[in-house]
Amino acid sequence: MFRAVQFAGTVAMLACVTGFGQEKAQPLETGTFHGKVHNTSGRATIYKEADGKLLLRLTNFKTSNGPDVHVVLIAAKDADDDANFLKSSTEKLELGPIKGNEGDQNYNIPSGTDLKKFQTVSIYCERFNANFGAAPLEKF
Amino acid sequence: MTILSSRWLLRWKWTVVAVGLLVLIALWWAFRPEKLWVNQKVNEPAPFDTSADPKPVLTGRFEAKAEQTSGRATIYKKPGGEEYLHLSDLSAPIGEDLHVELKGARDGTDLGPLKSNQGDQNYDLPVATDLSKYESVAIYSERLHTVIGVAKLEPF
Repeated sequence: MFRAVQFAGTVAMLACVTGFGQEKAQPLETGTFHGKVHNTSGRATIYKEADGKLLLRLTNFKTSNGPDVHVVLIAAKDADDDANFLKSSTEKLELGPIKGNEGDQNYNIPSGTDLKKFQTVSIYCERFNANFGAAPLEKF
Repeated sequence: MTILSSRWLLRWKWTVVAVGLLVLIALWWAFRPEKLWVNQKVNEPAPFDTSADPKPVLTGRFEAKAEQTSGRATIYKKPGGEEYLHLSDLSAPIGEDLHVELKGARDGTDLGPLKSNQGDQNYDLPVATDLSKYESVAIYSERLHTVIGVAKLEPF
């Protein structure tokens, strides 16, 4: 009888360790925003959801409102404040127009995105090719 | 000259006004100056349920001070209210009688000896720890009386 209980306990523990943990969204990478010209602050975190989809979530977020502002991932370790992207020919991945200049918000990341390549989140003004703020991502 | 220019103005008055308006509209479209005053607030919830899990409150990466240290320090709050420090991917030197400490401008709390110089580990925080008093997590050497590495904590 004791053996059976012990066995059940072990099975339950294993289920917790192996299967259960994978059913939840896991933060993969995180970083904080910096941006001086257009004061930008807050946190960017990339989650892997239970179904494997990647999601970018901004929290405690604040930037200046502006025209044609987008959230992009850029293939760089970090971006200088107000860096001009086209000149530096940095590869960028569009995640969509910004939903608000203040508050928590989510953006879907296309499946198959290479996070080793796209290491920084940028708040990017498409019209003037200006970087409002950037969050370099590091392993959570 | 003045007569000539005023005649020209009279003749082209509406064209000038129209062109001026167009320029103003173009400038407004490009710069949207009213957005300097208008905030667009959003508050999207996380698309997954995390209410049953420990919630990360503060986090930061270790920076090497006296010796090579790397990894991440995160303070979690359990649904019950208890808080604990989780070190992930830690790599710290061997020996040196290392301790984990919460450090603030004035306050310091020893969380105990470092359990291992490598890998993931947890440390319970004393009940009712006022996290606003602390700015960082330090790996401190009791033998050398030096800070080996520091992780500055920022809101998650």
